[in-house]
Amino acid sequence: MYTLSYQGKSYASFYFALLCSGAFSLAGCATTEPVVKAAAPVVTPTDPYEGFNRSMYGFNVGLDKYVLKPVSDGYKTVTPGFMQTGVSNFFTNLKGINVVLNDMLQGKFEQGASDFGRFTTNSTIGLLGLFDVASEFGLQHNEEDFGQTLAVWGVDQGPYLVLPIMGPTTLRDGAAVVVDKAANPGTYVPGTGVLEGINDRARADGALNFIDEAALDPYVFTRESFLQYRTNLIKDGKTDADSLDLELEEGDVDVGEISDVKSKDSKVGDKLKKSSDGHVKNTVEPTISKPNATLQAFDSMSKSFDGAEREFEAVSLKMDEYSKKKRRWKRH
Amino acid sequence: MAEETAKQVVEAFQDQLIGVMKEGKALGFKGRYDRLDVAVKKSHDLPKIARIVVGKQWEELTPDQQTKLEAVFSELSVSAYAHNFKDFSGESFSFVSEEETGRGGVVVHTNLQIPGEKDVKFDYMMKKKDDSWQIINIIADGVSDLALKRSDYTSVLNREGFDALIAKIHEKIESYAKQ
Repeated sequence: MYTLSYQGKSYASFYFALLCSGAFSLAGCATTEPVVKAAAPVVTPTDPYEGFNRSMYGFNVGLDKYVLKPVSDGYKTVTPGFMQTGVSNFFTNLKGINVVLNDMLQGKFEQGASDFGRFTTNSTIGLLGLFDVASEFGLQHNEEDFGQTLAVWGVDQGPYLVLPIMGPTTLRDGAAVVVDKAANPGTYVPGTGVLEGINDRARADGALNFIDEAALDPYVFTRESFLQYRTNLIKDGKTDADSLDLELEEGDVDVGEISDVKSKDSKVGDKLKKSSDGHVKNTVEPTISKPNATLQAFDSMSKSFDGAEREFEAVSLKMDEYSKKKRRWKRH
Repeated sequence: MAEETAKQVVEAFQDQLIGVMKEGKALGFKGRYDRLDVAVKKSHDLPKIARIVVGKQWEELTPDQQTKLEAVFSELSVSAYAHNFKDFSGESFSFVSEEETGRGGVVVHTNLQIPGEKDVKFDYMMKKKDDSWQIINIIADGVSDLALKRSDYTSVLNREGFDALIAKIHEKIESYAKQ
C-alpha cells in the first residue's frame, strides 16, 4: 500500500512541490486529468469551490505540460547539478528573513535565534546563500511562513483554493503570501521570480511524477496531501496519537457531517417559511443569494479556464503537425 | 513462544524492506514483488485497510465487489512497495518511541535516515488482530497515507463508480510493474 513510503530522494521533493511559496510550485502533473463535467455529488466542507478548483487544476496541468515542464527540463539539461543546488540554496536563503520574522511572531524565540544564525552564516560564509554551510554546523532549515503564523494565532484555514499558475493554497495561506513576499528581498529585484519559478518547478519534478504514479484522482490526492502537509507544518511535526486513532473510526464521518449541515440549513429554511414577517424575508434573501453569485462568478471563470486548457491542447496538436510537415519537407 | 510486540512487527518489516532494497536491482520487479508480498501481508492488515479506504461505501458494495476490492487493493499495495523501494543508497530505519492510543492502538515512531538528506518521520499506527499486531496506517512526515487514500478512493467511487475504481487500480498496478 504505502505509496508515500517511497524512496527518500523523490520524497523530499514531493513535499517541496506542495509548498505554495514558489511561483510555479504545484502546477500539476504531466498527464491530463480527464475533465469530468458532472458535478461531484459529495461536497467536501474544506473545498466548497471544487468545480472551480478542478477547472483551475486542469488549466495548471495543461500549462505545466506544455510550458513549465519543458522549460524546467531544459534548465535541468543545461545546468550542472552543483549550480542547481546553488540556485536552490540561494532562494531558500532569501526566505530566511521571513522565517526569523515568523518564528518571532509565533513566540518561538529559540528557533528564531537558530534561524537567524543560519541566515547570517549562509549569507556570509555561504557566499550570499549559494552554499548551505549552516546545515553542516547543525543549524537545520525550518519551514515557517505567515500562513502558519495566522494559523497559530487562531485564523481559520478557510476554503481550499487552486489558483492559476500559483497552484494549491487556502484562503488563509493565499492572503498571507503578501507578507511572505514583502519580507523576501528577492521580491524587489525584477526578474528573479522567473528563475525562482523555474528552480521550484525543477525541484518538484520527482514529486509531480509521484502524484502521477500514485493518485487515482490527482486533484483530490494533491488537495489532501497539500492540506495535511500544511497542518503538519503548523503543528511543527507533532503528531497526536489519539487523533490518528479517531481517524480510523471516522471512515464515514465526512459524509455524516455534511448531512448534518444540510439538515440544519433546511431547518433554517423551514423557519423562514413559517415566519410570515416580510422583513425577515427581505433581510435574509440577500445573504442566500450572495454565495450563489460568488459561485456563479467562479463558474464563469472556470469556463474560461477550461477554454484555455483546450487551447493548450489545440496548440500542441498544431505544433506536432507543423514539426511533422517540417520533417517531411526536409526529406524532399 | 512469546508473541511479537508492535515494535517488533514494525522492525521486522523494515528489515525486510531494507533487505529487498539492497538486492533490488538483482531481484527485478517480479523478485521484489514476491519477497514483499509475504512481508507486507504478514505485517499489514490489508483487508481492514481496503475497507477503510472506501469509507461508508463499503457497506453498499456486494460481497463479490468487496472480495474483488480486497484482492486488487492487496496487489496494488505490494506493487507500490516493489516499485518504490527498488534500490539502496545507504538508507536505514531507526526506532524513536512507542505510544499507546486511547482506543487500544499503538503508534510506533521511527525515522528513515537517507544519507545527505533530511530524516523522514515514519509513524506506524498499529492495531491488534487475533493476538498479533498489524500495521493499519503509515504517517510519513505528518501525512497520513490512509486519509490520503480514503479521499482519493471515495472521490473516484462517488464520481465514477465501482468499476472505474477497479479499472484505475489495475492501471496503477500495470504502470508500477513496467518500470
